[in-house]
Amino acid sequence: MNENEKRKYIKGRKLGEGTYANVYLGQLRTDPAVLVAIKKMKVQREQDGIAYDAVRELKFLQELHHPNIVELLSVFNSKDQNLNLVLEYLPLGDLESLIRDTDRVRYGAADIKAWMGMLTRAVWFCHDNFVLHRDIKPNNLLIAADGEVKLADFGLARSFADPGVNMTHMVITRWYRPPELLFGCRSYSGAVDVWSVGLVFAELIIRTPFLPGNSEVDQINRICQAIGTPTEDNWPGVSSLRSYAVPAEVYPVPDKKAWMDRFGGVGAEGVDLLCKTLVLDPNKRITAREMLEHRWWRTDPKPTRKEDLPRSKDDGAKKMGADLGRRPGAVEDENRGSKVARRLDFGAK
Amino acid sequence: MSRKAAMGGARQPVGGATTTTTTTSTISTEDMCPVCKTIRYLNKDMEFLINPECYHSMCSNCVNRLFNDGPNQCPYAGCNKTLRRKGFRSAFFGDLGVEREVDIRRRVAAVFNQGEDDFETTTDYNNYLQMVEDLTFDLVFGTDRKRQEAEATLQRWEAEHTAQIEQNRRQGREADEMARRRLRAEKDAARLRRIEAVREAEEEKRERALTREAELDSIAQAPEGQGSSRVQLKRRGLAAAAGVNSAAPVATAAATDVGKLSIRGLKEKKKAVVHEGPYDPFGGLDFTPSRYRLGPDLKHQRIEDLRATMRYNPGGFRFEDWTAQLMFEAFAGLGVFVEDEKEVGIGLEAGRVASIGAGIAAVGDRMELD
Ligand SMILES: Nc1ncnc2c1ncn2[C@@H]1O[C@H](COP(=O)(O)OP(=O)(O)OP(=O)(O)O)[C@@H](O)[C@H]1O
Ligand SMILES: [Zn+2]
Ligand SMILES: [Zn+2]
Repeated sequence: MNENEKRKYIKGRKLGEGTYANVYLGQLRTDPAVLVAIKKMKVQREQDGIAYDAVRELKFLQELHHPNIVELLSVFNSKDQNLNLVLEYLPLGDLESLIRDTDRVRYGAADIKAWMGMLTRAVWFCHDNFVLHRDIKPNNLLIAADGEVKLADFGLARSFADPGVNMTHMVITRWYRPPELLFGCRSYSGAVDVWSVGLVFAELIIRTPFLPGNSEVDQINRICQAIGTPTEDNWPGVSSLRSYAVPAEVYPVPDKKAWMDRFGGVGAEGVDLLCKTLVLDPNKRITAREMLEHRWWRTDPKPTRKEDLPRSKDDGAKKMGADLGRRPGAVEDENRGSKVARRLDFGAK
Repeated sequence: MSRKAAMGGARQPVGGATTTTTTTSTISTEDMCPVCKTIRYLNKDMEFLINPECYHSMCSNCVNRLFNDGPNQCPYAGCNKTLRRKGFRSAFFGDLGVEREVDIRRRVAAVFNQGEDDFETTTDYNNYLQMVEDLTFDLVFGTDRKRQEAEATLQRWEAEHTAQIEQNRRQGREADEMARRRLRAEKDAARLRRIEAVREAEEEKRERALTREAELDSIAQAPEGQGSSRVQLKRRGLAAAAGVNSAAPVATAAATDVGKLSIRGLKEKKKAVVHEGPYDPFGGLDFTPSRYRLGPDLKHQRIEDLRATMRYNPGGFRFEDWTAQLMFEAFAGLGVFVEDEKEVGIGLEAGRVASIGAGIAAVGDRMELD
């Protein structure tokens, strides 16, 4: 059975590399026009939990079938006993490369609404099926040939816990990690994913990570400054969380106007939704379902049709290190001074 | 910009006031070397050279004679500049004052090389240009004191400027290094997160084993009725049936719904309809449970007890999520028919289910995650 499954595909060039897997392009042997992505888990060493990673991904992907969640097509073992997941091929890169390519990719409120709709539906679907994703970020949102955004990488997912069961707080990439996890909370809910969704929303608007903390402490500081210091007033019980610590200066929760100034590009309703996803107290944070019931989706502009959404200009080839930006020391010599009105140029070179 | 044009520019701000300088003698175009008094028409090939240290003009013979053996003092009376042979060149402009001004401007321009982009506003930029112009004027036509001051400013700026360049270069390297280090740290953190998630799973498994033991113990010890209700709760949902009205008959679902394999059971999903109507944020899906309806009086002692202890939830754990999950799982099996699943599978065929099974077998008992 395994052999049959394996022989169904021809493995092609490498598409990308993650911490735990190499991803290859694959073709159906019987119909080479059908492309797939084959995610080959790296050598499995028990103590590293690589096997778990694969199994988590396998376990959840085989249960979750939704247009906005990457589709698992098959599974097989290769000779070296590595697990291979056959996934639908998503050729148009990820949301991060679109956000970062500010020079070449232009998009607007209608596009953001379309992407956010797809992301929110994916998260809502997970939560309604009692699954926490726990690693939502722009580069885990891959884009299909027709423009559909798909939530991928379920390597950290888990099902909802029973009451009182401890979960790890060491999940979600730092910039997208909610305050309850930063405070070491071990009994949490889908609200952790909603916070990440809110930060992806903010990043889509300002086209740079909203809270790029460079340590956990810095992350908490940034949250306090941008969204307000979590206190017993705005979040009852917060000070009892295991590693609750905030900067001495208490920052107020910013008012609507402050949010509008920075994120007004998506309109007042959009900003209202954004604020609700970034509420400090997870009990008061909007749920994924409530997000979909929000007025923003029904106000103008209407979300862009997925076929018409802006696309990456990279033509599949991922731009390496694009996020490093231009080095501060690099000076643009060309055209320097060509616009100068009054300076006299004596050919000093 | 050609040098001719440059000259025009150079003269403009100063109004040709070349005679005010102390170090520049205006050369009368007399063809006599002021040093050896040779006259040009006696020596047609005679060439005049200047050295930008002092712009004192002399013939090439004098230059060779005086400076071929090394640095020497300028032969002009009262000029104490030390000159080198290689500093001499023929003057480009007939007017050595202009020659000097052009040289000064070139030097100033090399140091004050900011562009308009470097400034916040055009006004700032214009002010900067004015400052540079004033400084240049002082260097060219200023009194000794003004000139020295301007010279000092220029040199200080030059020093700072090279420091700036050097600093920029260093910063560039540091930024690279920091980016590299950040990337590495992020990688480590990602790895740690995954390991931590594994620990979580194991801990949970152990805890579950422990509770199971405890449950068994309590059954052994408790009076019959109580004990068994606990076991039922552990099997999830079944116990909660009190207060639930079993709703729609269930046989309809599985056969029509392609794309779901129920290992734990998946919610009812209606196929998304293609539409150009108003935007549906839910994408055409509806998850209202169709197999059961929750009565308003849903109560179970054990659940109520737990709810009481869980009231205080700063981390956001939602009790309703849990009860919803209990109910869902209790009814999940009802819509699944083994025969249908064999055909429909996850949208492929039975072979796929089997191969997924094989994959799981390969990773062995580490599979147990929940
Ligand atoms: N279905 C797919 N179609 C096309 N490319 C894919 C697909 N899945 C993954 N990739 C590419 O492979 C890369 C690595 O995949 P992925 O992020 O899933 O691996 P990982 O080990 O889980 O990663 P991480 O280090 O982020 O946890 C991705 O960045 C992406 O470029
Ligand atoms: Zn001479
Ligand atoms: Zn001299």
